[in-house]
Amino acid sequence: MSSSINGAPGGSGTAAPARPLGEMIFAGMIVCIGVVGFVAGAGIPIPPSAGVVGPRVFPFLVSGIMVAIGIGLLIQLLRGHTGAAEEGEDIDPSVKTDWLTVGKLVGFLAIHIALIVPLGWPVAAAVLFFGSAWSLGAKPWWRNAIIAVVLALILQFVFAGLLGVSLPPGFLLEGVEIFNG
Amino acid sequence: MDNFLALLEGFSVAMQPMYLLYALGGVLVGTAVGVLPGIGPAMTVALLMPITYSLDPTAAIIVFAGIYYGGMYGGSTTSILLNTPGESASIVTALEGNKMAKAGRGAAALATAAIGSFIAGTVATVLLSFVAPFVAEFAVQIGPTEYVALMIVAFLTVGALLGASVLRGLASLALGLFIALIGVDALTAQQRYTFGNPFLADGIDVVLVAVALFAVGEALYVASRLRHGPVKVIPVAGRWTSWMRKEDWKRSWKPWLRGTFIGFPVGTIPAGGADVATFLSYASERKLAKGERKKQFGKGAIEGVAGPESANNAAAAGVLVPLLTLGIPTTATAAMMLVAFQRYNIQPGPLLFEVEGALVWALIASLYVGNLMLLVLNLPLVGIWVKILQIPRPYLYSGILVFAAMGAFSVNFTPVDVFVLLVVGVLGFFMRRYGYPIAPMVVGLILGPIFEDQLRRSLAISQGDPVALVSTPIAATIYVILIVIFVLSFWLKKRQQAMESEVVEEAPLAVADRKEG
Repeated sequence: MSSSINGAPGGSGTAAPARPLGEMIFAGMIVCIGVVGFVAGAGIPIPPSAGVVGPRVFPFLVSGIMVAIGIGLLIQLLRGHTGAAEEGEDIDPSVKTDWLTVGKLVGFLAIHIALIVPLGWPVAAAVLFFGSAWSLGAKPWWRNAIIAVVLALILQFVFAGLLGVSLPPGFLLEGVEIFNG
Repeated sequence: MDNFLALLEGFSVAMQPMYLLYALGGVLVGTAVGVLPGIGPAMTVALLMPITYSLDPTAAIIVFAGIYYGGMYGGSTTSILLNTPGESASIVTALEGNKMAKAGRGAAALATAAIGSFIAGTVATVLLSFVAPFVAEFAVQIGPTEYVALMIVAFLTVGALLGASVLRGLASLALGLFIALIGVDALTAQQRYTFGNPFLADGIDVVLVAVALFAVGEALYVASRLRHGPVKVIPVAGRWTSWMRKEDWKRSWKPWLRGTFIGFPVGTIPAGGADVATFLSYASERKLAKGERKKQFGKGAIEGVAGPESANNAAAAGVLVPLLTLGIPTTATAAMMLVAFQRYNIQPGPLLFEVEGALVWALIASLYVGNLMLLVLNLPLVGIWVKILQIPRPYLYSGILVFAAMGAFSVNFTPVDVFVLLVVGVLGFFMRRYGYPIAPMVVGLILGPIFEDQLRRSLAISQGDPVALVSTPIAATIYVILIVIFVLSFWLKKRQQAMESEVVEEAPLAVADRKEG
């Protein structure tokens, strides 16, 4: 999806003309969830003990609302009423969407998830911080690495060691008393 | 009188040294995180929830109360000192403070915001102490039908009024309701939307979704359009004791009080929360200003900071009235507070004052204490807040991601939860990108199960006749009020947009004038 959005004509410096396609996919997805809600909702078994209003009624209601709103949004989009992207202090409204950075962050979160069990939480957290800081453009790399390791150890010490949150220390820190809850 | 004694007892709990420390920790964390751009009080409560499990309920509630008020104080510092346009929702109020700071009057803006917040917070907490028990007494008498009506009001106002687009707000609400359906039906024990997956059968944890939407979604979205380069913070000159001149006091005290009495009632009714309150206060200050001072609006009028900031804090206290007495959150932050209560098996609602009286009064007492701490801390410590504002953005957002991942993992100590965090976080990214507000989704997620329960109960009483939902006198009244709120809100929104464009257009022109003259 990302490539189609970047490849759309426009290029006037703002992301506005390229946006409707992505927005239409999102609105279409809302319709789809509603439809799935209906189909899967019809499969919810109704036990004889259920009263007048069984377990299907509310799911049907919500699914119906989603389909209706999704279609309404699609019509709005076709008429050219696009959504206003959220603003914020750290957001530069004049730049194009940087899909690469978003992809990198998602990737590092995925690596983090994969590392928690085999290597322990502190290692996974340090990798996540280092990777994210690098993706977001922090330099130099060795400072990122130092901050990542120190932060991961502090969090492990405070939350696992002091507050008793069971973050797995991993085999590297297994024997160190202060990092274990 | 009973309530007064109960409040005193609350103070005797909240003043214990240990709880004072927790309150101090709460307001410090709340302010620090509130100062950080992009992190609101709702995200703070969500992020800190999994890691406060080891605290006892009273301590946890006191910490959250501190975060709640602290976040409001911190937010005003950001909008005054950060040299970038803030969120459009608060543009008029951010504008005056920001303009004052650029004109070298940042210290006065910070001071009038902090003192106004203190006065508004204190007066509004007094009002809360008297109004809440009264509302609770009334609320005990209402049945499921009236509850359904009240929740529909909350859904529609939060869904339709919080964002810029009504349909997108309602879509966000519906997404929240849908995710809340995943899992086992509480009444019939049937699995719904689990697709045979044992993980989904447990339902998707509310905290997980909230952290994902607020923290991961925000980090990804900011990353997609990050403002690079150094963070420009407007410097604040002089010692904090000399920040407010005599004239500033004279011009501020009336807006403080007006803001308080506008903010509290607006906060108690579900009408869009603090945004509406701050706008109403700003509009009235602008109207009441005369002559030379009126011309200052849009260029840094102190009344335009004092009033809205007070209204903002008073509304925050007002929001606690429906939350504590009816169990109905009307803002995202209040929704997260509701989750925090539920984690400790405390169910806000009509019975709260009876069942958990000691805890509620300790909470209210700690609001007074926290407010005083905030006033004392905020002015002298502004240097520290400025340092926090300057944290390099790559580190800030990396830190948010690490905290979010830790919070998600500590919900059940399984990496699967972190994966859900990632998926919902990506959803939150696209919602921000396409202008879908986040708050309605969180409110739908939290109120959805309660709403379904009450709806099915009231329909069971009426044997499936939906007309019964609107036919009791109280329910009918609530729906009429709903219509009034809607008409008023749309009218207000129109006026707000008109005024915003007017103020924003005027401001640059005014600067140009001065250069020529």
